[in-house]
Amino acid sequence: MLDQPAAQIPVSQRTNPERSFTEEVRALRLGEGELFRGEGILAVTKAILQSGVAYVGGYQGAPVSHLVDVLVESQDLLDELGVHLETCTNESSAAALLGASINYPMRGCVTWKSIVGTNVAADALSNLASPGVIGGALIVVGEDYGEGASVIQERTQAYALKSSLWLMDPRPSLPTIVRCTEKAFELSEATNTPVMMELRIRACHVTGEFVAKDNVPPAISRNHRLAEPAAHNYDRISHPPSTYAHEKIKVEVRQPAAERFIVENGLNEFLAGERSDLGIIVQGGITNVLVRGLDRLDVEGKIPTLVLNVTHPLAPDQIADFCKGKRAVLVVEEGAPDYIEQAIHVLLRKRDIDTKIYGKDVLPMAGEYTAEVMTEGLLKFFAQSANDIDLSRPRERFEAVRAGRAEAQRLLGGPLPLRPPGFCVGCPERPVFSAIKLLEREVGKVHISSDIGCHSFATLAPFNLGNSILGFGMSLAAAGAVAPVMQKRTISVMGDGGFWHNGLLSGVASSMFNRGDRVLVIMQNGYTSATGAQFIPNTSGNRRDGETTSDIAATLKAMGVGWLRTIRTYNVGTMLKTLREAMSTDDKGLKVIVADGECQLARQRRIRPQIAAQLKRGERVVRTRYGVDDEVCTGDHSCIRLSGCPSLVVKPSPDPLRTDPVASVNNGCVGCGLCGEVADAAVLCPSFYKAEIVQNATWWDRLKWRIRSKMIGAMAL
Amino acid sequence: MKPLTILIGALGGDGGGVLCDWIVAAAQSQGLGVQATQIPGVAQRTGATTYYLEVMPAGARISATSVLALNPAMGEVDVALATELLEAGRMIFNGFVTPDRTTLIASTHRVLAIGERMAMGDGSFDVGRLLRAVKERSRAQILFDMDQAAEESGGVINAVLLGALAGSGKLPIPDGAFEAAIRHSGKSIDTNLAAFAFGRGHARGELEQAVREHRKRQTAVQGAEDLIERARRTLPVASLDIVEEGIRRLTSYQDRRYATLYLDRLDTIHALGSGELLREVARHLAVRMSFEDVIRVAQAKTSAERMMRVRAEVRAKDHEPLAITEHFKPGIEEIAAVLPPSIAKRLLGWGERTGRLGKTYFSMQVRTTTILGFARLRLVAGLRWWRPRTSRYVAEQTEIERWLGQIRAASPLGIDLAREIAESARLIKGYGDTHKRGLGNYRRIADEVIAPALAGRLTPRAAADAVANARVAALADPEGESLSRTLTAIAGATSPLKQAAE
Repeated sequence: MLDQPAAQIPVSQRTNPERSFTEEVRALRLGEGELFRGEGILAVTKAILQSGVAYVGGYQGAPVSHLVDVLVESQDLLDELGVHLETCTNESSAAALLGASINYPMRGCVTWKSIVGTNVAADALSNLASPGVIGGALIVVGEDYGEGASVIQERTQAYALKSSLWLMDPRPSLPTIVRCTEKAFELSEATNTPVMMELRIRACHVTGEFVAKDNVPPAISRNHRLAEPAAHNYDRISHPPSTYAHEKIKVEVRQPAAERFIVENGLNEFLAGERSDLGIIVQGGITNVLVRGLDRLDVEGKIPTLVLNVTHPLAPDQIADFCKGKRAVLVVEEGAPDYIEQAIHVLLRKRDIDTKIYGKDVLPMAGEYTAEVMTEGLLKFFAQSANDIDLSRPRERFEAVRAGRAEAQRLLGGPLPLRPPGFCVGCPERPVFSAIKLLEREVGKVHISSDIGCHSFATLAPFNLGNSILGFGMSLAAAGAVAPVMQKRTISVMGDGGFWHNGLLSGVASSMFNRGDRVLVIMQNGYTSATGAQFIPNTSGNRRDGETTSDIAATLKAMGVGWLRTIRTYNVGTMLKTLREAMSTDDKGLKVIVADGECQLARQRRIRPQIAAQLKRGERVVRTRYGVDDEVCTGDHSCIRLSGCPSLVVKPSPDPLRTDPVASVNNGCVGCGLCGEVADAAVLCPSFYKAEIVQNATWWDRLKWRIRSKMIGAMAL
Repeated sequence: MKPLTILIGALGGDGGGVLCDWIVAAAQSQGLGVQATQIPGVAQRTGATTYYLEVMPAGARISATSVLALNPAMGEVDVALATELLEAGRMIFNGFVTPDRTTLIASTHRVLAIGERMAMGDGSFDVGRLLRAVKERSRAQILFDMDQAAEESGGVINAVLLGALAGSGKLPIPDGAFEAAIRHSGKSIDTNLAAFAFGRGHARGELEQAVREHRKRQTAVQGAEDLIERARRTLPVASLDIVEEGIRRLTSYQDRRYATLYLDRLDTIHALGSGELLREVARHLAVRMSFEDVIRVAQAKTSAERMMRVRAEVRAKDHEPLAITEHFKPGIEEIAAVLPPSIAKRLLGWGERTGRLGKTYFSMQVRTTTILGFARLRLVAGLRWWRPRTSRYVAEQTEIERWLGQIRAASPLGIDLAREIAESARLIKGYGDTHKRGLGNYRRIADEVIAPALAGRLTPRAAADAVANARVAALADPEGESLSRTLTAIAGATSPLKQAAE
């Protein structure tokens, strides 16, 4: 019942299972003078429609997925405006979409998560930046940095610098974010350069309001098509010798134009202050942390501050004018390396301005600038640069709260149990890792090449499986030089999202081509679940119709994969047997197991309303869930170590003679049956039972039940 | 004018985002400047999520220069909300909750983290520590079991928490505005409003919460009254609750004779003179004597109360038919366990020779709600009379006698050592591999620590510590690495036996 193949879902019942965006879709339709209320990323979405974009695209990833997700739900609005929406299969494809603005005066916007997505997009970005654009091109990147970040901590700034793309980092207030979005298109057109805009996670989710404008239908669009393509112009092609000229134009024409535009349009903000001898230059995105930090030191409103809503390029005259005549200026720049601070040093040195610059000497080079970090840095800065400011009281307060925290930690007595993310209740991926754990009991430890996606949670407790993560869809490629030196075969795990994103070519094709003797497990759950269950090519349906566009097994066969098994994941025994066979078969080529089971989160969102409706209509519905006989359970918790299902919890033992808590299945159970399967495959214990509760029972159900209950009651002990 | 600051700690799936939206909408309806942001974490149920809000006091507008913060700061949180007790502890641990400023509104229930759940015994974090930190490190507290309140009101925990926030009176927002926010969001309005009212009532002290107590279940049995009478006459009162349950348990498990054997064995421990030791041994001895074999599992699954228990647990309504399927997978060892020792030995020998031992199992799914399925288990449960003839019974009695002998031998050396030996029986539990591993660990400790201690090669105090350390180590990881390390360290501290001089 559980592994209902995705293909059976009727089109009419498909929804974006993550959220329903009714409110958000309505907000996108607001007109001139109406008040918009909502989150930062939705404000950006509204702003691009107000800017007259002709096309939008992107690849999902926190925290910017909502931009495309909401537009997917707004197809009517997009059709009215004539805006084309492309849900891309990776960031590279999204970046290449901006190629439309090279030859045509069309505005376009794409989005993805940085830094990982920008890495994937890098090739197209370079070749986009080289010829430049005539229609405004905006790339909205989710700068996933600091607390809650799920990727490597690198800066998008590096890409802006190397490819000569302009980078906006707006102050996280909705009016500023909206203005920057609109200005980004103008800047792009005025300088023929694509513009990136980075939004940190808290900025994407910040709530606020701004006064909306009407949406602008693009002049060239799906609704107003061009009769002819652009005339052939070799200058627009990123290929030598054009590229030699492009390089010169970038630095001689486009950058100076950008510097002028930034100043003339007041893109950076100046916060006035009475202390003419001091100043602070801050990235727009962390202005709020700075301002609150100054407030904490009782100097808020006193220190002149230059807010860089554009962090590349810097406007040299603006920076020089700001610093001139000041004794000390603090550069507040999060993350390494200190690109902005270095640039300001060089700029001032060349103009012989001797303002002392502080930055990474008082603030840390690495890590998020939280309130605490900022406070400490500001205290250091003022202590070194302005001993006339009395910091004794704020410092005392700061030391007191730190001492208080130390006291709290002493009371709690050491670190608290961590709550790492894990697989959902009923997740179809968990059984695969239970099977791998059981396999390791038989054959010993195996090198496991992990990947990005929900399945990367297997690297955490209780599975602790996985040796490396190299990138999205990279797990098979990452085993390339490990497999040949291992006595046992390696196992690479990849999601279907990762497979289409990158794994098919950099993994499967390369492994086939090199005659790699490896095992690949593809988790086919039907969505990119970790980012909010977006559709991918093997989903039953796509954004436009109910057709499945591509099938993984068929694709692999066409690629020449000979050893291929598709296994229902919940059957741990079969999965274990298949893994065992893959590890031991004489077949020397690539061995692929397609582990099939629909994302349970998506499935539950789909079937819950259906079941509720069935119950309401009085139809017979069987509810399945599992349970543990607490009298039989002895409290060893092997079952939890082997499956880790969130609905498999522990409770105090009801036995007066036992103290160890016993396992228990709570009401979150969706009846996937994994706990029973694991107990069976691992020969754990007989405490698990499956319960099927018949709701809206028929007379036949009830009659059987009555007879059975009588007989059983008579036999019971 | 400074904003009021609110920090929320929740678990994925608790509805923290919706709670945040309700607060924002309610503040906006009052014309208050408000800003919220979140670190939603991953969608999955187990991860922790945090939300942070700032609300301007009445009469203040957010101007272009008054910038609301997106990050909470230590010592600057007015109200901290937590949907679970450990998450409240986490906000305290990180210094966000402070005794000069913060009102802490938290649910007292625990959702154990994976590290706590996967422990081989009891791995849960000390709730006492959490509660003490809550009391000492916050200015005011509103604490109750919001999970229970949500269940009782039929709503979700986030609505209970919103009600508690409204009831705290910390925000300049009237109840009606919160209720309007719930209505406006348009989902499960009635249950959410009920949960909101519950939360508000609790926060204002208008509702008393009956503490959800955890009941221990006594074995129901008849015909053991005289044995209980005997225990009451001869054994100290402090041990009687355990001993009486032991008598009932073993009478139901086997018969009166077996329960008498239990009392006889306890008499030899009682003679050692320590009431505490007697109580511990009484507990472990009853568990050890009611060892888990297929007969016991069948007894448990065919008992009269079991069906009611299952119905309650899976929340089947009175008129709803229920089908129960049991998962069994006996192997050669389980079969051998119920055969007489001589035949069992031959069967195991054959299993070993053919490599089938530990490999061949019989996977069975038995429906105990069908007449035939139930009858099959009832038949096995009826084999109770045969149990004393089984190989497992004989082996268990030998092990138990050896263990009791060690306790008796240790008692004159030091009562602590005797108690630790008694306690080490805790390692033996479970079925199949789990049982084998636990018994193996116990035997290693018996051979490598207890035996040398009884032979006088360790001081009784050091020996007691060594047994305790080894027991903790055995429960640290299922692979036994920690136990091996600990045993090596103990061996290093044990004085070697004197060699003969010749």
